[in-house]
Parts: sequence; C-alpha cells; structure tokens
Amino acid sequence: MRERFLAPTVGAVVLWGVVVGVASIAAALGTSSTNTLVTQMLIDAIVVVGLQVFIGNTGMLSFGHPAFGAYAGYVVALLTMPVSRKLIQIPDAPWGLAEAEVDPTIATFAAVAVTLVVGAIVGLALVRSGASSGAVAATMITLAFLFVTHEIALNWTDLTDGGGGLGFIPRLDGRLPIVLTLLVVLLVGRWFAESRPGRLAKAVREDGLAAAASGVDRVRPQMAALFLSVLIIAVGAVLRVRALGSMTPSFFYFDYTLLTLAMLIVGGRNSLTGSMLGVVTITAGIEFTRILAGESVSVPGLDWLLRPNLSDLFLGGAMLGFMLIRPRGLLGDWELDHWLRRWIPLRRRSAPGAVSDRSGRKHILEAKGIGATFSGFRALSDVSLRVETGEIVGLIGPNGAGKTTLINVMSGLVPGHDGQVLLDDEDLTGLAPHDLAARGIGRTFQNLRLFSDLTVRENVEIARIAHDRRGHDIDVDALLHAAGLTDVADRRASELDYGNQRRLELIRATATAPAFLLLDEPTSGMGEAESSAMVDFVRHLAGEIGAGVLVIDHDLHFIVSICDRIYVLDHGELIASGSPDVVRNDALVRAAYLGED
Amino acid sequence: MIAVLQQLVDGLGRGSAYALLALGLGLIFGVMHLVNFAHGEPVTVAAYSVYAAAMFGAPWWALAVVAVVAAVLTSLAIEFAGFRRLRAADDFTLLLTSFGIAVLVRAGFSMWVSTTPRQFHRPAWIFDTVRAGPLALEIYDLVVIAVTALTLVGTWLLLQKTMFGLALRAAAEDFDAARLMGARANRLIAGAFALAGLLAGIAAVLILMRRGQAEPDMGLDILLPGLLAAIIGGLGRLEGAVLGGLALGVAQSAFRAWILPNSLSRLTEAAVFGLIALLFIFRPEGILSARRAERV
Repeated sequence: MRERFLAPTVGAVVLWGVVVGVASIAAALGTSSTNTLVTQMLIDAIVVVGLQVFIGNTGMLSFGHPAFGAYAGYVVALLTMPVSRKLIQIPDAPWGLAEAEVDPTIATFAAVAVTLVVGAIVGLALVRSGASSGAVAATMITLAFLFVTHEIALNWTDLTDGGGGLGFIPRLDGRLPIVLTLLVVLLVGRWFAESRPGRLAKAVREDGLAAAASGVDRVRPQMAALFLSVLIIAVGAVLRVRALGSMTPSFFYFDYTLLTLAMLIVGGRNSLTGSMLGVVTITAGIEFTRILAGESVSVPGLDWLLRPNLSDLFLGGAMLGFMLIRPRGLLGDWELDHWLRRWIPLRRRSAPGAVSDRSGRKHILEAKGIGATFSGFRALSDVSLRVETGEIVGLIGPNGAGKTTLINVMSGLVPGHDGQVLLDDEDLTGLAPHDLAARGIGRTFQNLRLFSDLTVRENVEIARIAHDRRGHDIDVDALLHAAGLTDVADRRASELDYGNQRRLELIRATATAPAFLLLDEPTSGMGEAESSAMVDFVRHLAGEIGAGVLVIDHDLHFIVSICDRIYVLDHGELIASGSPDVVRNDALVRAAYLGED
Repeated sequence: MIAVLQQLVDGLGRGSAYALLALGLGLIFGVMHLVNFAHGEPVTVAAYSVYAAAMFGAPWWALAVVAVVAAVLTSLAIEFAGFRRLRAADDFTLLLTSFGIAVLVRAGFSMWVSTTPRQFHRPAWIFDTVRAGPLALEIYDLVVIAVTALTLVGTWLLLQKTMFGLALRAAAEDFDAARLMGARANRLIAGAFALAGLLAGIAAVLILMRRGQAEPDMGLDILLPGLLAAIIGGLGRLEGAVLGGLALGVAQSAFRAWILPNSLSRLTEAAVFGLIALLFIFRPEGILSARRAERV
C-alpha cells in the first residue's frame, strides 16, 4: 500500500517546486506589484487545490466553494481586528465580538472549524439531493449558497460593516507560510486522490449506478472530498485575508468563483498538475491582458479590443473555448507522477494464483411475489424465483418481458416495488444497491457501465476495495489474468474493445466477491465464437468463487446450453420454469418465442 | 384580508417574470438536459437594445417589440454558437459552457458599453395606481399579470395543439428518444431556444418597464430566481416551472411584509433563497415534482 503513495508524493513535491520556482523567478524579475501578484497566485493555487479535491474527484460542479472562503475570511477578520478599530466600524457586533481580539493562529483554527460546520450543512443538502457527477441540483445548491452568503455579508452590517468590508487585519510577514501551506495541500490533495475514499469518489464520478452495484456507498467518499476541500479553501481564505489585511463581501463572490473555476478547468479539472498549470496560465493571461488593455499599450487597429475589462473577456473566453474544444483541459487527468513513475522502481508482482477460495458455502437468493409498475405500466406482476450458490439459472423472455426490471429489483434499483427479496431467508427488500452489493449480490448491466476514464485495473480494484473491510481475499491480478486483461491493465477502460469491456465488467462484478452474480445479457452484441467463450468464462468464474448465477438472455439456444434451470417471463409474468428440456417443450414458451398457438 | 390580497398581487407581479424565465429554462432542459446559465443573457441583450432604441426616441410599444426580437435572436445565437457543437457532451461541460457564455456577454457589455448602468425612459403610467374598492393596485402589477397570463395561455396552446408542441413535450418526457431523432432534433432544439427566447423577451419587457436601465450583470442577477423557480417546480416539468415562479414571487412578498422584522428586511432574498436551498434536503427532486427513477 505504501508503494501506491510513493510516486504521488514525489510528484506533488516536484509540482510544488515547479510552481514556487516559477513564482520566485517572476517575483525576482518583476516590480513590487509583481510581488503582490505572485503572492496572490500562490494563494489562488491553494484555493484551486481545494476546488480540485471536490470537483475533480466527485465530478460535481460547484459554484459555491469560494463562499466557504467567505466564512473563514470573516471569522479570521472578526477575531483578529484590533478592538479600537472594531469600536469604530462594528461597535454593535453580536456575541461580544466587538471586544474580542485573538491571536491569528487561534483565529485560523476557529475559522477552519466554523467553515467545516458550514460545510456540513451544505454537505447534508448535497447528499439529500442525490448528487452525483454533473448533477444539476448540486450545482444549484452551491450557487444558492454562494448568493445567500454574499447577501448576508452585504446586509448584516452589524457584523460585517457591509460592502466596504473590514480592515486593519494583522498581515502576514512574507510568503513563507503560503509557500509551505501550498506544499501541504498539494501533498494532501494528491494523497486523497489515491486513497480509498478518493478512488471510491472517482468511481461514483464515472458511473454512480455501477459504483453502487459494486458496493460503493456514494455518500461517504463524496463527503470526505467535500470536507477536505472545505478545509483547504478555509486555510487558503485565511491566508488571502491576512495577506491583504482586509475582507469584503466581494472577495469570495462571483468573480472569485469565475477566476478559480477558469484556473481549474483550463489545466484539467481531474488533475492536480493540470490545475496548477491552469493557475499559472490564467494568472499570466490576466496580467498580460491587463497590460495590453492599459494606457501604456496601443496597437493600431486593435484599440477596439484593448479596453478595460478585457481580462473578464479573457476568462469567459478561456472557459467557453476549453469547454467547446477541449473540455477536459490541457492535461486531462495526467499527473506529473504518472511520468515520474518510470524512474521509480516498483516491486515485481508475483504470478497470479487462484482468484479466491470461497466455494463450499451454501446460500439461497429468492424473489417472492415481485411486482413493479411504471407510470401505469405493469412491468412485473407476482414473479417469484430462486437461485442457489453453485447453479446457473437462466431468465429468458421476449423484449419488454420484464427481465431487466426483475434484475433491477433484485439489485435495489427499483424503489417501491411489491414483493420481497430474500437472501437465506433474510429480508433485503428496500436496501440500497450498495448494501445489496455488500451482502453479496453483484451484477452487470445490459448496456455496459464501466468507469470509463479509470484504468482497467482501477475498475477491478475499486470493486474489491469497496469490500475491503469484509476481509474477502479476491486477487485482482488473478482476475485480470483470467479475463486475459493483464497486458492492458493500465489502459483506460474506454480504450478496450467491446468483448474485453464485457469481460472487464464481469470481473469487476466478481471482484466484489459476490455470492450471486446477476448478469444482464453478457453476450449481447457478440458473435457466436465470442459468445461461447464468454459462456465458458462465466462458468469458470462462478465456479471459482462458488457463486450462483442468474443470467438474462433472449437467445433460447444459448441459455439452454449453459443453465441448470430456466425461468421464462412474458409480459411481466412468469409463464414457465424448470429444466432446459421442460422449458424448451413448453407450449406457452413456444407460443411466446415462435408465435406458435 | 386586504393586506393579504395586496401582497398576493404584488407577489404574483414579481413572480411573473420568474415564471416566464423558469418556463424557458424548463423547455431547454427538456430538449437537451441543459441547465442554461446563459438564459439571462437574452434579457441583458434586450435591455441594451431597448437602451439603444430609446435613444432614437422610440415609444414603449416599439421598445417592447425590440426587446422581444433581441431576446429571441440572442437565444438562437447562443444555441447556434455554443450548444450545437455539444449535443453529446456531458452535463458538466454543458453547464460550464452556458456559464462561459453568460460571462462573455457580461464582459462584452462591460468592455464596449460601460460597467455602469445605462438609463432609458419608463412608460408614463408605470407608478400609477388604480383603486378597486379598498385595494390600491399598481397598474404595472396588473399589466404584468395580464401579459403573463396571456403568454402562458398562448404557450399552453402551442404545446397542446401543434406538432412542434407535441414534439417538445415528448422530448421532455423521454430525452433519450428525442436524442435519437438526429437531424430533426436540431430543429426541435432551435425551436425550444426560440420559444424560450420569446418568453425571456416578454419577461425582459416586464422587467425593463420598471427598472428603466441596462447593466452588464443583469442577466446573471435575473437568472438566479428563474433557476430556483424552475427547480422548485422540478426541472423539465413545465407547469411546475410556472407555479415555482409564482410561488417564489409570493414568498418574497410575504417574507418582506410579515415574516422578517423590519431591521432584517434587507435579508429577504437571502432568507428566501436559503430556505429554498434547505427545502432540497427534504424534497430533493423539486417541491412539486414526482420522483422519477433512472433508467438502466
């Protein structure tokens, strides 16, 4: 496990060195205003790391993260301002704040603590909104949060003295605290991305449903990312306020959201290296447009363009241009340590052995009297079936018969259905998908749901680590080997061909060490030879982990060739069940399949 | 009782513009799963067009036409320049694209016009009131409510009685099926943007009559209540958007009049929006919307 963090650690330190190096050179070459700019850039870098930890890992777009900075900024301002000054500006401040004056270090801790409490409230709203990658509700909540925070800061004048803000805050000496903080947050940010919660958050970002079906509870990793990002932004905000010596409502409002978001996405929101590149690029770009738009520069024929506020046009243009042409930013999800890894010797992995040795335990999965209705359409009525470990059970029926719906019910994706789902007589009805996965019900999807931007190995590892605490010893390397994916283990899942993607989805489900595998058309879109290889593979895997399999297909011949027992659905009702021979000769089945009367 | 009626009229007047904007946002969300952060920009462009036309001394009925035309054209231009290239993009990209467009429009007006507001004349009757029994009603509120009601009836007829309306409603019901329509989807989406632009243009007229000025920030300012209204109603549910807008307006009036003490009345917006954000904790799918399961 330690090895996993070695390259990221080195990478983060090198990245820090580069950013600070660039900053120092710029500061040494420039004037005193460049010096202020460099300080500002390093603080922005800290805030952008905070944004990246949340937006990059969860895929949720937040407009409101700078508002966390507003809370931290006001706390530190209110606690460290000299009392003499407070009596002039905010004599009526509540909670005795007008008479309080605290050491800046203590004030910083207080600021972070208050901001984390605010983060918990926003986090609760995000969780309840069912937020996942790209979720609109999440973005709206953060936008409302930004707006409300600004309104409060602007209008609660007893506390904030309104739009003019608070001043005379003790200032930092020198840049050293900022530079060191940047190192710490880069390390923490990079470690988080490689940590268990970080990787689970990324799985949810890539595909929330598939993550749930792999046993990932989205809430905890997302909240971990939120709290870490709030913490980093609070610290960044404290530094910003203390560097400037003042605090106003507009410091952490819309324009700062715009600036930091542009920095994040230009370099690549999924990469810390990318976001640092964005910080430097955008800072340089803004400075450049400011000089161009200033009095001292005049380019014949371009006067119409070189006007005040050009930097806003630059920010908007950068944001729009990247979204249209290169939405993943300059670097995508590339990190410096991906490149450094070549020079860091890693231990060779030993040859893969068995996947697991879980066979021998007997379980029974049962669905009893399942019914489901979607806006008036009865998709399933009173369907019951049972699967035991060690057997392969088929579920067939024409299109629209309700096969997928039944598997969805059994994996927790259909809230409010009728009937019960039982595992060894324990009622699992109503449990969330990730809880069902944790109890040993794994599944695949008809239209492939992989974590497309993660590597093949990560796809499988995530399914395994989601179950780490249950002590199953699934060997990821052995699974990759069994699926013939060892050579492509470090490629992105999206780069595989279709057959390999299908096999990957299957071993990902297997990596949760399931007692039961529910497979939704594992051979769909495959040719005959490929299909039969897939069938052998399913048998082999199920045998090795001792799982029971429920497999959907509409190809009768295929199902008959692999299954011990078969259930037949038509129009949401069970019309036949039994051994392959019995089902093949059933009159109702022949009618449903062949149109015979 | 009279005070309640008075506030109700005030709230409906305020909420009308929100409802029209929310309806447009809902239409666009229906056809391309986009929460359009640039949907306030047709209002901004309409405002500056009105400012320009007013300099030539145009009367208000002509200014209204200018505003609506400018809004429709802007909405279409946004679709054509931005979203036409992004049909298959993920939600994150779409959101940030619309945000980028909004920022660009704001920056453009700041650069080439001014960051300070530009004034134009208001209709002469704008602050007049009529007495209806014990009620003193502003003519403005009555005009707003009447125009909004007519617009909503017209939109409803369009959605119910025409093929275009049927296609829009079908798209809102089943986005994936709409996406499969391919080239015809382009026309449908452009149509949705045009209709949304028209509604935004009418909202712009209602807003500008009272405000009498244009400023670079106004699009994003106006967008937030519109967005919240759309979300209160459940995004993509058109009746919900209208009800959400009206409810938001009435809530603001009620908060200002009764709920907050005078000293805190400036926190009305913060209180109302904060409350709505908190409501998400209890009804994440929108206050009026039914829960819908994701398809697998």
